[in-house]
Amino acid sequence: MSKATNSTEFRTVDVDAYDEDNYEDDAREANSGSQEVTERAGEVKKLLNLTKNTDALKLALQNPPIGHQDASVKEQNYETVLSVLKAFRTPEIEAAVGDLSDGDVDVLMKYLYKGFSCSPDKAAALLLWHEKVVKRGGVGCVIRVMVDRKGI
Amino acid sequence: MPQQKPQSAQQLFYEPISGHAFNADLTQIVVSNSTPHTHVMKRGADGKYTEGHVLEQHLERVTSVDWAPTSNRIVTCAGDRNAYVWNFEQESGTWIPCLVLLRINRAATTVRWSPAEDRFAVGSGARLLSVCYFDPENNWWVSKHIKKPIRSTILSVDWHPSNHLIAVGSCDFKCRVFSAALKEMSDKPQTSLWMPKLSKFGTLLAEFDSNNGWVHGVKFSPSGNLLAWVAHDSSVNLVNSNSLEKVHTVLTSNLPYMCLLWLSEGSFVTAGHNMSPDLYYASEDGVTFGAKLDVKKEKAASGNMSAMARFQKLDVQGKAETEGTTLETTHANCITEIRAMESANNKVTKFSTSGKDGKVVIWDTESICSAIAGLKI
Repeated sequence: MSKATNSTEFRTVDVDAYDEDNYEDDAREANSGSQEVTERAGEVKKLLNLTKNTDALKLALQNPPIGHQDASVKEQNYETVLSVLKAFRTPEIEAAVGDLSDGDVDVLMKYLYKGFSCSPDKAAALLLWHEKVVKRGGVGCVIRVMVDRKGI
Repeated sequence: MPQQKPQSAQQLFYEPISGHAFNADLTQIVVSNSTPHTHVMKRGADGKYTEGHVLEQHLERVTSVDWAPTSNRIVTCAGDRNAYVWNFEQESGTWIPCLVLLRINRAATTVRWSPAEDRFAVGSGARLLSVCYFDPENNWWVSKHIKKPIRSTILSVDWHPSNHLIAVGSCDFKCRVFSAALKEMSDKPQTSLWMPKLSKFGTLLAEFDSNNGWVHGVKFSPSGNLLAWVAHDSSVNLVNSNSLEKVHTVLTSNLPYMCLLWLSEGSFVTAGHNMSPDLYYASEDGVTFGAKLDVKKEKAASGNMSAMARFQKLDVQGKAETEGTTLETTHANCITEIRAMESANNKVTKFSTSGKDGKVVIWDTESICSAIAGLKI
């Protein structure tokens, strides 16, 4: 038996890169908006200090950097949202979710799922949010997380 | 006369039904049950469809069927990258197949006759649309391709009533409208809002982005002025041909819809993974949800539960209320196709749905309207 047979290196080859017919997503959005994310983080912090949690949540979910090329920008906005979510006490969650617009609910759900994958240690707290968001937005907003290709 | 039930279901197969279509007088139905065989079934005196002919020619699963009511021809397409047109021969009483040269290298996914029944369109995984017409000189069906700018598998096609326009929904998250006027058929297309100036075959006339969802179903309204489509992000979308840049979208809280059917110029039914047909209204201002049409069966009155029984239930199931394990919809799985059956005064009065549960369900809109208070179609 040849030595090459034992090689498993071929498994790491990205075969899709060699497929001419492979579907490519549309060009990603421009590399701007990082400043906006930083500014928003500051304002959200201010609102949290004033214990205006619901306002902070609404602001944190505005205009997320969807499909941004720089992962650190997405990460920063995710941290902002997460800091808001942590500020809420359990009984306040339902009212806060009820106050959000339909679009905000979709965005919030995307951040919850990002939370499940990025920080599984916080999943218990996020599941409390998840329950209320499903109650508000139905399974539709879960589906929209599943089909989202750009990433938040 | 006993009051007609809102819906009547028939379990035709135990496999998923990939497509169904009726002949002109609704006495026969053609059904493909995710096998290489297509079944032509006849309606009996009891209204149930029973086995008639089996169309055997495909080598892979049949993915879609359509029946041209006037010319009484069936077209089938399948995973073997072929399509067949079936003509009924009276003398022998059999269906005679005729191969169609689709020239595709991936499975065919969907097929639809045009309103004039002189051509049909086949969508496929080869990222192109085959528009097929009959060539009498060579006595076969030939196809012309629309390739650009389709970038992924086509999931749904629909013809405009004018016979010269076609809408295509595909996996690249786009819904597109093309010109399908064939000079080989000496077509004389009319200019319209969709086609402001005469365009040759394959011209892209409109392209709509559907957020993130694969476009599962697309349909022109009866007049052809409105176009609606449903996508995998659970959205219902509508565009009016007089303002093509304004797409009305409703992001629903349900599971995604797979198909839709216009009941009138102002309303359409969608159905899909949530197993019930839902009514939507279309107006100048956009789309609004109407009602869930699957009228729930009356639940057995639970009455006053004794405190002990209540706590017992709470203890066993860990929750105060139970949704139960009984299915509350007529379909037991995803609905994949809706067909109009009967119409009166420009309104569909009867339509049928088929799904992955192997059932075909026939819905009577009048009795649905009487069952749901305040519902108008």
